[in-house]
Amino acid sequence: MAWVETLINGALLGGLYSLLGIGLALVFGVMRVVNIAHGEFMVLSAFLAVFLVGMFPSVHPLLLLIPVVVTSFVVGWLYQMLIVNRVARQPDPLAPLLLTFGISIILRNLMVELFGADVRSVQLGELSRASLEVFGLNIGIMPLSTLLLAVVLFLSLQWILKRTTFGRIVRATADRRDIIRLFGVKPDRVYNYVMGLSLALGAVGGVLLAVRSSFTPFSGGERLLIAFEVVVLGGIGSFWGALVGGIALGMAQLAGLKFDPNAGLLYAHLLFFIMLLIRPAGIVSNRT
Amino acid sequence: MTLLEVSGLNAFYGDLQAIQGLDFSVAEKESVALLGANGAGKSTFLRSLVGLIETKSGTIRFADRDISNVEAENIAGLGLGMVPEGRMLFDTLTVEENLLMGTLTRRAGSWTLRRVFDLFPMLEERRAARPAQLSGGQQQMVAIGRALMANPRLLLCDEISLGLAPVVVDQIYRSFADIRAEGTALVLVEQDVKRAYAAADRVYCLLKGRVSLSAAAKDVSLAQLTQAYFGM
Repeated sequence: MAWVETLINGALLGGLYSLLGIGLALVFGVMRVVNIAHGEFMVLSAFLAVFLVGMFPSVHPLLLLIPVVVTSFVVGWLYQMLIVNRVARQPDPLAPLLLTFGISIILRNLMVELFGADVRSVQLGELSRASLEVFGLNIGIMPLSTLLLAVVLFLSLQWILKRTTFGRIVRATADRRDIIRLFGVKPDRVYNYVMGLSLALGAVGGVLLAVRSSFTPFSGGERLLIAFEVVVLGGIGSFWGALVGGIALGMAQLAGLKFDPNAGLLYAHLLFFIMLLIRPAGIVSNRT
Repeated sequence: MTLLEVSGLNAFYGDLQAIQGLDFSVAEKESVALLGANGAGKSTFLRSLVGLIETKSGTIRFADRDISNVEAENIAGLGLGMVPEGRMLFDTLTVEENLLMGTLTRRAGSWTLRRVFDLFPMLEERRAARPAQLSGGQQQMVAIGRALMANPRLLLCDEISLGLAPVVVDQIYRSFADIRAEGTALVLVEQDVKRAYAAADRVYCLLKGRVSLSAAAKDVSLAQLTQAYFGM
């Protein structure tokens, strides 16, 4: 029974991990750019959440997720328009990698300057410890809500991409950036929206992770690593694969902790390594 | 009335000059064939017309507007459409979604999804299919239909017949009668001299980036065309 509970909680954790990865997957899928600064932007959103919680103590912290997400969208838009678009068009994949790596370093140091190096977290009080009993199993309410939120966001993203004109434009731009221009679409503007969406989704993951565990300005690397593993494990180009990848990582992590409480993310990383050897295309290898 | 007027156009691929001092024109509702061998500069010319390639000098006027070095996305709404070489369909979109991309230019006109399906009935049967599931001929029809959905005044067709069976090419060329009946002018870029010559009011021949022949189709024989094509 304890193992069942561990695996269920691992799956719930995976919902959170999938939220870390979906933004990265979106940007790579459309622009073929790996945004190395993705982790730092998630940490920045968590700092913004902490700041807003301090400014508006009477407002429930989860409601403050809304302005954090909106701000992250705007930041993403500007980041893409002013910085990343300058290199996104280049055939050399190294240019955006180096640029976003540089941005990640700048952001990290900026956060140290602005917020200090102290450990922070987003406090939800009793809600973060609340659980409900289902068939004798203790299920955390926040982890369950996070997984449900992840599924809702994934479904929403899928609906947007499949059923709306905007989604069609995004997919067409990802397919043929030059040809879409023949129909009056500016690819750079599409990329602005996509990066905004990516950082907004990352903000949700970043803030909810800050509820679960503490963070510092230096936590971006770990978040990027999880996001990257989620995307690759699930299958590059597949959004539902990112959800499956996240769940797999979460289950591996918590199952590993049962063997070795000091293991941290080791078993999750081991799973990633093993999957790269036996199925490098990922669990779900088709494009969504 | 002259719809497209090109004067002294020069375009480069890096340091290599692909188009040299090119003059070219298309009148309203006219069909013009642009012929030439591989590497003559035909596709480069079309891509520079629609703004996908920058030109070094010369002017391009479309419907009395100077569109020289205007960005492709700003030319799209003026009524200059293109069926690119190799079809270049959007791989993750269905047939219907590919066709609907043409409506993004928001140009009013008679070309609707219904009309395109009437022109190419087999596309309606495959409307939910993706390009990879279609034959070459069907993909070409989607590419043409997509361009028509933007209701162009002038449609540039780049190597429509390339890689297709003759019977399929015949079907596609028959559709040009309906397209011209709607008042759309055509530029047909082809390596198939005979077929394009038969469908054109005027012909140009391109050789190493320069015009080697320019004449009304009725004033030039196939033999003369072939000589200009090969530079003999």
